[in-house]
Order: sequence, then C-alpha cells, then structure tokens
Amino acid sequence: MSAPATVAITGLRTFIGQRIAERLATRAPRLRVVGIDLRRPQRLERKIAFERVDLTDPASHARLAEIFARERVEAVLHAAFRRDPTPDVETDHELETVGTLQLLHACTAAKVPRLVVASTTMLYGPRADNPNYLTECHPLRGHPEAHCVQNRVQVEALLVDWARRHPHAQVTVLRCAWLMGPSYFDRVVRHFARPIVPTLLGYDPLLQFVHEEDCLDAFEQAVLDAHPGVYNVVAPDPLPLSTILRLSGTTRAPLPAAILYRMRDLAARAATGDPPAAFYDYLRWTWVADGARGYAAFGEPAYTSREAWISFVSSRRLRQYR
Amino acid sequence: MSEQDGDLGAPPGSAPVLRDALDALRERLHERFTPANADGVDWMALYESMRRRFASLGMRDLSADVDDFGMDAEAIASARPWLDLLYDRWWRVTVSGVEAVPRGRASLFVANHSGLLPWDGLMIAAALGRHQPAAPRARFLVADWLATLPFAQPWIARHGGVRACRENAERLLRTDRSVIAFPEGAKGAAKVFRQRYRVQRFGRGGVVRTALALGAPLVPVAVVGAEEAHPVLFKVETAARAFGLPFIPVTPTFPALGPLGIVPLPTKWSIVFGAPIETTELGPDAADDEILVWRMTEELRSQIQSMVEVGVRERPSVWR
Repeated sequence: MSAPATVAITGLRTFIGQRIAERLATRAPRLRVVGIDLRRPQRLERKIAFERVDLTDPASHARLAEIFARERVEAVLHAAFRRDPTPDVETDHELETVGTLQLLHACTAAKVPRLVVASTTMLYGPRADNPNYLTECHPLRGHPEAHCVQNRVQVEALLVDWARRHPHAQVTVLRCAWLMGPSYFDRVVRHFARPIVPTLLGYDPLLQFVHEEDCLDAFEQAVLDAHPGVYNVVAPDPLPLSTILRLSGTTRAPLPAAILYRMRDLAARAATGDPPAAFYDYLRWTWVADGARGYAAFGEPAYTSREAWISFVSSRRLRQYR
Repeated sequence: MSEQDGDLGAPPGSAPVLRDALDALRERLHERFTPANADGVDWMALYESMRRRFASLGMRDLSADVDDFGMDAEAIASARPWLDLLYDRWWRVTVSGVEAVPRGRASLFVANHSGLLPWDGLMIAAALGRHQPAAPRARFLVADWLATLPFAQPWIARHGGVRACRENAERLLRTDRSVIAFPEGAKGAAKVFRQRYRVQRFGRGGVVRTALALGAPLVPVAVVGAEEAHPVLFKVETAARAFGLPFIPVTPTFPALGPLGIVPLPTKWSIVFGAPIETTELGPDAADDEILVWRMTEELRSQIQSMVEVGVRERPSVWR
C-alpha cells in the first residue's frame, strides 16, 4: 500500500492539521479527507468531510472507531495537541495523553494501517549534558516542569508500546523543531516577536528552527508514503540565540536566570500553568536535533534555520506596513 | 564685545587683531555646538545614533556565521593576536613530532590535562593550526562543568571548544575535523601541584572506542609546562558547592589576587606529538572488544606518561 484512499486528520483546526488537509484536498484529487475536531473550522474546503469528536470524552474511542470503519480510513494523521500549554493542566493531559490512547484504541478496532503523529524535538529536553546533535535514538528526557512536554513524552511511550503490539501498522513520528514562517504563530513566535526579548545572561545556546513549509512537506510525504519510524524534522545549520536576535534587529535584555525566573513567575504560571523555567530553559541549554535521518527520508529542507528565521522576520515586517 | 568678557583668556588691552580672531573662534564654536533646530536636542536621533553605535559594538568580533558546533571564524581571528601572544611570548611554546601527524585526515589527539581552564586545548589547536594551516581547525573537548558555565560556555563554543561526549567526538571525526581529547577528564583537572605530570586513569576507554569505531588515528600528545601554569596548592570543596563548581582551586595568585589570579604563570611549554597509532586495520568491530579497548587505553596512557616524563626530565627549568 502506498498512497491511502482516505485520510483522517485529528485536530483539523491545528496548524498542521488544517494545512495538511488543504494540501491533500488540492494536490491529491482522488483522496478523501476526513477532518476531526471539537469545532468546525470557519473555512473548510468542500472536499473535506468534518466530524465532531471530543477526544477528552471517555467514549470517543468508539466514536472514532466507527468513523474510521465507516470511511474506510487508511491513514490517520494525529495532530490534536495543544499548540501552547494552558493553565488547565488536567484538560491538557486528558486531551494529549489520554486522547492519544483513545485514538490508539480506535486504530486497533478499525485496523488502521498507517498512523502519523506530530511530535516535537522539545521532548529531548534542554539539558546541560545533551550532545550537540540529538539523534532519534536519544532518550526523551523532557522537561520536568513543562506539563505539555511531559504529556507528549508519555504519548511517544504509548506509541512505542502500541507499535510493538501492532507490527503490521506503520507508525511514523515526526519530531519538529520550533516552527518559523510567515503564517505560523505560537508562544515561541510571540516571544521572539517582542521588540525587547529577555534572554539569560551568560548563556547563548545554538537554536534550531524548521520552516513551516518544510515541516508540512514532511508530514504530507509521511501521510502519502510509507515511512515507518521516528524522524527529526529540523532545518540544518543552527545559529546562536544572540545571532538570531541580531539578524532581526531585536533588542536583547539579558537578565540573570534567578531574576528573570522570579520576574516572569506569575505571568508564566497564569499563561501556561508552568514556571518560567519550562520555557526559558529552552533558551539556556542546547537541544539541537540531528536531521540526517529525516533528510534521507523526506529530502533536504528548502530553508536553513537562518532562512526560516528571516522568512518569519520579513513577513512580520511586511505585516507592520500592511 | 567688552574687554571684561575674558573667559577665553584674552588679556585686557591686547591687540585688536587677536580680539577679532577670538571673536571669530567663539562664533564658530557656537555654531558648531548648537543644533540646527535650536529649540531642543533631537533626542530620538541621538538615541538612534547611540543605539547603532552600541549595536555595532556588540557585533564587533562576532560574525553572523558559525559552524555546526558554534565555532566562529571571526571570533577566532580577532582572538588570534592574544593567543599568539600567549603562544609565542608568554609560554614560548616549542613543538616537536608534529611532522608525523597524519595529513588530510581527521585524527584523535589524546593529551594529558592540566588545570581547570582549557589553555592546553587552545595551545594544541594553535600548534596544529600553524603546522597544517589548510586543514580544518582541530576542536578541543571541554569538561561538562566548563562547557555549561555561564559566560564561559558561549566563549568556548565560539573559539572551537566542544562539550566532551562520544556523540560530539564521533560527529566531528566523521566530518573530517580533528579532535583534541583529554581523557583524564575531571580527574586531570583536579590534580593538585604535587600530583603534576602523573597521568590519571583514562575514563572508561571512550576515546579509544571512538577512534576504533571510526578508524581515526590516535595521536598521543604530551604537554609539558602547562601543569605548572596554575599550580593548585589545595582545593576547597565545601564552599564550592554553593557556586555549583566541583571545587575552588587555591593557587599562589587565586583567589588572593581576585580576577588577576586567573592569569597563568609564564612557564615554558613544550608540546610533543607522538607517533600516530593506526586503528583502521582493527576495524570498527574492535570497538566492542572490551579487553582490546582497555589494553589500548592503558598503553596509550603509559605512553603519554613516559613522553611527559622525558619532557620534564630534559627541560632545563620550569621557566626556560
């Protein structure tokens, strides 16, 4: 089996879910797309069928299994994850970890032959003792204080377990670096889009991005062709944080870690439910992933980290003058 | 203009020519220092000009391009005069045996370690850079605690240091860049003065295993003189824990002289490169042969130990 006839996408309203649904609908004319989410997107291609399922509902696995069987789904793209962590830690866990479990039960029941799951290189965790390039075999150490990262680490453990018990199924996990590009937006982008960016005094790690189009290319190929395994989806040539901010002409506000963490504590907990270390540690230690395996499978990315960053910066400038 | 107005120092009753000249000068000074829009200073323009000036100051010595391990060729070029000063004048480094270093191939250099600061790594890299200017710069591995120390970490990364771990060494060797390793690790850095030139245990054999896995030649290197540059009299361990350091070294100058105390002593250095040990014929499977790895590690250690002893015996004094 190469190209599936019907693809189901959970998290149709997420960036990856929506863009991949649109791409598949326009580029693969004979392919059916079933989009699953909590609410119907405002704008939906006519070719995309919408199904409303709440993954935090305990009965959602039966509902998903019924949809997968009825539509004869041959590939599932699981992208129903939080873009940013929310203060509602319980619901985040229900949606991300337990929701994945529901989806896996449904895949078992409907015998779905291909599963593609969106993941992130943040799961390797920012650690002082990381090697400069983390390969796919490196243990996922996560960040103990970032609850969404820990949820996704559990998701990957569930996937490993499930893939072992269902050897016939092709499970693809794509771990993406921080996305940058003209249309993607999340808290990382918001952080870097500030006129003055707080950084940690005395630290200047290499940072890695991936351009949104390169990321979507990898997802599209993973859905359409068989690529079982785990892949880092990252842009080559990481750059030091200081260089990145100089490229965009952003003013840095280097602060000692103790002061920065205390200063941002309340705001960070209110916005994400985690202490500031859950985010700023990613600007403190290196957690660059090695993309060689992904390049061999999905081709060289069109954008380096620098180009992805410049693409984001220039689109932001244009937006200011619109 | 009256003659009492003598703030420019014109003596009363001086020649009218001089007075005219002073008037003209004053007028020109007034013109020069009054902004065009006299009703106020253009603070925005001033701020913008300062910002530009300081931004370019921040960009000084650093290029926007680093390699995949964060090494910055421009930072190295601007540090070059200082490193040359240390190399030629301060330590008067003499190099021997460098002709035998394999050309056109990445090698794994194994050296005795000394002191907490990576001076030995910088000097070996400089010696190799002088001998083989066309080859990619050799990268020195630094211990964990230094590779993660604030301020030190960005500086070391820009100047070619890499955190010591097997993945990093393998990646460097695979991409044809030589690696300088100090397998004594923390035990080597923690040597006190009376333990100098006693080469400690070589970790768990990771260096030899890496060389075997990639077929890279192992080059033993003895650095003589470096172990006296920071003579550690004793170590303070309890107070160091408060700062997250393994220990605080107490040398004749540190911490007594404060920041000046980190200036190393101008000892006479010699760097001796031994004959390279070929590992290709053993094949990558030999890396899993624990007994072979252990034996080669111990042989390498004793070879470096004897090279160091010869160097120490043959030098006329620590300073010459």
